Amino acid sequence: MHGRVKVRTTEEEKARKEKERQEKLKVFEHAMQKIQQKRKDAEYDKDLLDLTGKVLSSNPDIYTLWNIRREILKIFKKNNETEELPQQYDAELHLTEYCLKTNPKSYGAWHQREWVLTTRNDPDWQKELSLCNMYLKLDERNFHTWDYRRFVVSKCNPSLKDEFDFTTDKLYDNFSNYSAWHYRSKILVALYPDLEGGRPIEDIHHKQELKIVQSAAFTDPDDTSAWFYQRWLLGAVKTTTKVVVYVVTPVKITIAFNKYVEHKYVGSKIRIFCNNNLVKGEWFSCTKNQFDVLWILKHDTVITENDVIKMEYDMEDGNIQTILSVKLNTNTYVGKNEISFERKYSKPVVEELTTQLLACRQLLAMEPDNKWTLLTTTVFLHCIDAKQNHKEVIKNLHTLKTIDKLRAGYYDDLLTKWSIEDQLSMDYVNDSDCFKIMFKDKITSLPHLQYYSYCETVDLSNQNLTSNILPSLIILQHCKKLSLENNKLKTLSNLPNLNLEVINLKGNTELAQEVELFKKKCNYTVIY
Amino acid sequence: MDDDLPTDFQVIVVGTGMVESIVAAACSRIGKNVLHLDSSDHYGGLWASYNFDGLQKFIKEVNENPKRQVQVYNLAEKWYIEKELPQEENKEGEEKAEDAKPEPPKKLWSQTNFASEYRKFNIDMTPKLLFSRGPLVELLISSNIARYAEFRCVTRVLTWLNDRLMPVPCSRADVFATEAVGIVEKRQLMKMLTSIVGYNEEEMQNEFKDWNEKSFKEYLTHKGLTPNLIHYVLFAIAGGTNNMPCLEGVKECKKFLMSLGRYGNTPFLWPMYGSGELPQCFCRLCAVFGGVYCLNRPIDKVETKTIDEGKTVVTIESKSKTLNCDHLVIGINECPKDLISPEPAEGCDISKAVFITNGTIMKSEKEPLTLLRFPPITDDDNAVTVLEVGPATGSCPKGLFVVYFITNKVKDAESDLLPIAEKIFDMSGGDQSAESEKPKCLWSLFYNVKDTSAPVDSMNDSVHVCSGPDAGLDFDRAVEQAEQIFKKICPGEEFLPRAPDPEEIVFEDDVTHGPEFQREHEEEAEGDAPK
Repeated sequence: MHGRVKVRTTEEEKARKEKERQEKLKVFEHAMQKIQQKRKDAEYDKDLLDLTGKVLSSNPDIYTLWNIRREILKIFKKNNETEELPQQYDAELHLTEYCLKTNPKSYGAWHQREWVLTTRNDPDWQKELSLCNMYLKLDERNFHTWDYRRFVVSKCNPSLKDEFDFTTDKLYDNFSNYSAWHYRSKILVALYPDLEGGRPIEDIHHKQELKIVQSAAFTDPDDTSAWFYQRWLLGAVKTTTKVVVYVVTPVKITIAFNKYVEHKYVGSKIRIFCNNNLVKGEWFSCTKNQFDVLWILKHDTVITENDVIKMEYDMEDGNIQTILSVKLNTNTYVGKNEISFERKYSKPVVEELTTQLLACRQLLAMEPDNKWTLLTTTVFLHCIDAKQNHKEVIKNLHTLKTIDKLRAGYYDDLLTKWSIEDQLSMDYVNDSDCFKIMFKDKITSLPHLQYYSYCETVDLSNQNLTSNILPSLIILQHCKKLSLENNKLKTLSNLPNLNLEVINLKGNTELAQEVELFKKKCNYTVIY
Repeated sequence: MDDDLPTDFQVIVVGTGMVESIVAAACSRIGKNVLHLDSSDHYGGLWASYNFDGLQKFIKEVNENPKRQVQVYNLAEKWYIEKELPQEENKEGEEKAEDAKPEPPKKLWSQTNFASEYRKFNIDMTPKLLFSRGPLVELLISSNIARYAEFRCVTRVLTWLNDRLMPVPCSRADVFATEAVGIVEKRQLMKMLTSIVGYNEEEMQNEFKDWNEKSFKEYLTHKGLTPNLIHYVLFAIAGGTNNMPCLEGVKECKKFLMSLGRYGNTPFLWPMYGSGELPQCFCRLCAVFGGVYCLNRPIDKVETKTIDEGKTVVTIESKSKTLNCDHLVIGINECPKDLISPEPAEGCDISKAVFITNGTIMKSEKEPLTLLRFPPITDDDNAVTVLEVGPATGSCPKGLFVVYFITNKVKDAESDLLPIAEKIFDMSGGDQSAESEKPKCLWSLFYNVKDTSAPVDSMNDSVHVCSGPDAGLDFDRAVEQAEQIFKKICPGEEFLPRAPDPEEIVFEDDVTHGPEFQREHEEEAEGDAPK
């Protein structure tokens, strides 16, 4: 009978596919060989453009071929074949578009497109924006497209409001989208800055964003993208650089900041006066980093027992702050600033946070073991009033450690950080030159250590510190007595050089062998 | 022409309803020799879609010749618009258009307009949705029959809550976006939905071991859901009533939720040009694999004969021709009473209505495709399923919507459904151009259908009776029954294995290949881009 169907068996089909594959491979290898040859012979012509184009249209990820194409186009331009250039560029865009259909995540193709548009002198940015729209419709999470969109937007400056609304649309389709949240955060601060209050985001929008993110978080608490955005929003407060503490000794002056600052900042904003004479010298960072929280001034000024020493600081608001020092001992002077770790939210935002805290508590009553609800509650408590809520925050972190064991280390670090912030406010009103952990929880890290840079006695005994923290001890520039008794040190190899008188390393059992050698090496007392 | 028709087949299928068509396709697909007949001049039987003219013929037939359509009764058609538009009004409309207004005025409809645009209507007798991960979608994909059909996603699920239409937040994106539920409710709702999806068999047994006798509503209440959330889950997602058994509610919810996120924002697909397209897709596959089709071919008599070796032959008299087959598959509405054994129990009949309106029941940015689940008004009432389809589905001309109502019969179609229609439509007739909150109903049709969906046994092992459409939302029961019938006819054979695409088919004429194609010059080949 005529034209009766007979379906190919799978074996036949497999053999046919394999044959096809072999054929393709042959053609591919041949084309690649030819391309290499032509390049070797410096034959940068249309033929080579055709060849690379054909291979790329099915294998858009071969970077080399994109590079060759750019070489060719540059040569065309150099040879003044300008009449055909726009067409060549159009063809190039066409090719990348074709390639992106095959692989929308091809780095090479996206990059080539960017290159063409920045190279030609008649780019059509609106068309590029529509291309982004199309690709984000097909895959709203393709970060290549978001990346490219930011590039296009930076060139054609469309309405920021439109871009903002675009992220809203995409998030309403699927809020599990880091790229969209990120882009939103970038536009938010550009579109709605709080000009009057000097805060990053206008109140009404800050509130609105907190609402949206809460809705996402309550819809699917296991999706971390919304939480990241929430944390970013909570961190979007006005922060100013401040001097924390400075110490003047006959040998050196140290100055600690609440944020990382660079050399020229210190040099231009800080002046130290001894008996009204400016102390001169060169600032350097103890870690040799470009940015640092602690800066050191080597000086030749003679410091005696009865000097009047003060510091002047050009603050960000244009005022000059003067901090006087007090004598710590014979010829060491310490000047402390008022410190605060409070996040300075505006009143409406605090109100919103308080409302959201209430919702969290309600939810917590229903599912007390939900880690995300408890963590958010805790973060809110800390953000709203860290001092007032400290006890509850600590209690919650302990609960979190038991219900979310996988992240126990993270909660330990939070415990450490927030407890130290709490203790610091007390330590700064006392006149002691000793740093000793005053709370029950064992610390795992050393946050804000520059705040204790003035201390001569640092007692870090009975904690959970590991050898990883040792390099950061370089901050303790004035420390003489250091105790690391009963910690979890395994090696001393990264302990920085400090002018110590005594170090206590008892109870770090794994150090036994190393300590003997260490004792011989150092010029201070080692207790083990 | 009759002489062309062979007389001996392995399988004869009578009736082109959903079940019959699937069985026909399945038999033909594995190489059975199939004849497929229908007594009327179109496909689908009670599952058919009609254009407006076809529908008028159908209505006329039911009214004038009730014996031809015994399943349909209480049929009432009503117009809410004039036969003709008054001339002046027409002109006025045109003048308005010439005004510099950017929006053209709303088109005014008359009965004559309907008649002249009759081809643009596709009105379903049995409108049904497909669950995106339901058995029919899986079957359409696995059998490769999906290529004969096109679908649109249902864009929203609505319910009737606090005396108004409300969108139901059913997907993650909906729950995130909605402002209708509070923040704590969002968490509660998502928690309930994800736990229902997430339960495995064992957890299910555990969680629900004490809920066998209780209702789904009691369970939801027990879980602390607010009345609003219970409404969404019970009536809109599970499609239930106050006394829906707990386990059934969980099952329905799970089915709904499992189908989310595959094609669109809701779990449902609607076939372009109506549900009546689907039986035809199966018929097409049957024909591609050699099935023979004859419409307008009523059968007069069916006899079964046992010949030697205990083998049975079924003989059919049709238009004075005798046709023989090993198996007869016959739709319940084409089936002579004496073949059915025993007479099926009277089920609860179905009340249906179709409305044609001049706008959607709830405005939206793009043309909506809506499933509205209307909860029972009183405890004695049934829930009503409402489907609203627009021009984009090929169901009606631009500017109109077709709305289907389906429920289990309590009194009669009109008494059961009119009160609900009045809540969402303006049934007063009158000026169509007047701005109103509710869309105007332009035309309505109420009717009852006998419920013939219960499985029916036949007198003879060689005769297989297919049920009629049920009142349910989907085609799942039809698919299940078709597979059962197929398994009886062809034990051990695969049910609708994947049909090949054209490029996978070799024609027997092509079997002798010419010599292998040789490349003459390497140079020529390099032009071929590897693919």
